[in-house]
Amino acid sequence: MASNSRNLVPAFAALAALGLGVFAATQFYPPAVAKFDSGIYLPQSRAVGAFELTDQDDQPFTNAQLQGHWTILFAGFTHCPDVCPSTLSLLKHLSDRMLQSGRRLDTVFLSVDPERDTPEQLLSYVRYFSPDFTGISGSKQQLDSLTASLGLAYVKVPGASDADYTMDHSAAMVLLNPEGQVAGYFQPPFKIDLLASDLERVIPRTP
Amino acid sequence: MKTLTLAVLLQVGSALACDGLVVEQGWIRPPMPGMGMTAGYARLSNHGRRPLAVEEVSSPDFVGTELHRTLVENGVSRMRPGLPLPLAPGAVQTLEPGEYHLMLFEPKRPLKVGDSVLVEFRCGTQSMQAPFTLRLEIP
Repeated sequence: MASNSRNLVPAFAALAALGLGVFAATQFYPPAVAKFDSGIYLPQSRAVGAFELTDQDDQPFTNAQLQGHWTILFAGFTHCPDVCPSTLSLLKHLSDRMLQSGRRLDTVFLSVDPERDTPEQLLSYVRYFSPDFTGISGSKQQLDSLTASLGLAYVKVPGASDADYTMDHSAAMVLLNPEGQVAGYFQPPFKIDLLASDLERVIPRTP
Repeated sequence: MKTLTLAVLLQVGSALACDGLVVEQGWIRPPMPGMGMTAGYARLSNHGRRPLAVEEVSSPDFVGTELHRTLVENGVSRMRPGLPLPLAPGAVQTLEPGEYHLMLFEPKRPLKVGDSVLVEFRCGTQSMQAPFTLRLEIP
C-alpha cells in the first residue's frame, strides 16, 4: 500500500505539471487561430514591408519599433474632430484595461496628413490622450509604402480653400503581433468590451 | 386658387420653421491644445406636427460652426456636410461620435470642462438656441 502511494506521487506530479503546462499555454501563448467578434484575425499573419516614418519626437519609426510587443495602429489626422479623438479616447481605455489584466498593448496613431501633422503637432495631440501613445507620419511616399503594406487607404479631399481640406482614410484599426506582422483588423463601430475580449484571446499575459 | 396658393405657401413656410425642434443632452469635447477645432453632440427631435429642417448652425462662442456627418463607405471613413438635416414629426436624430456631429472652429474664449456654450439652430427664418456643456466623455 505504501509502495502504491509512493508510485502515485510522481503520477500526480506529472498530471499537475501537465495541467500547469496547459494553463501556461492558454495564458501566455495565443491560440493558433482565434476568431474576433469585432473584426478579423488572420489565419496567417502578414509581413509588413520595410518602412521608415518619423515619430512625435522627430525620431525614426521603423519596423524595429513594432518588435517585441502587440500594437494597435489607427490611421487618422489631427484635424479630424469626431472619429479620431473618440477612437483615441477609446484606445486609451483599452490599453489601460489590457495593462490591468497583465497584457501590454502599444498604441500608434498614423497620421495620413503630413502637411499639417508635423512632429510637434503630433506630440501635443497624442500626449493629450496618453503619455504612452506614439504618433507617426512621413512624406507621401513613405506613407504610401506603409499604408499599402498594412492594407490601408487614404485620400485628400479638397475643401473651399487650400487650407480647408479633409482626409478620407480607412476606418479599420490594424493589430500587429510582436514580430511586427499584421495579425488582424478591427472594424467600426468600435466597442471596448468586444475589443478587449478579442485581444485577451490573442495577447498573452506577461509572465 | 388663391386659397390653394396660400395653403401651399403656409405648408412650405411651416416646413422651414424650428417649431417643435428640441435639442437635449448637448455636449462639446474641449478643444485640444493647439487645435482650433472640436466636435459637439446632442439629441435632436421634432416634437411638432410638421416636418422641419435644420439649415444652419452657429455659436456665439466659436468663429465657425458646421454640421457634418461621418460615413464609413467601403471601409473608408469620410466626413461630409450634414446640412440640411430634415426631421419628420416625431423623428429623432442623435449627433454622436462616428455619426452626425457639430464641428466647431476657433473658440472665441478659453473653454474648459464644465463650461457651457450656446449653439443656435436655424430652420428657415426661425432659430432656437440650446446649451452645450464641455465634457471629456460621452454623458
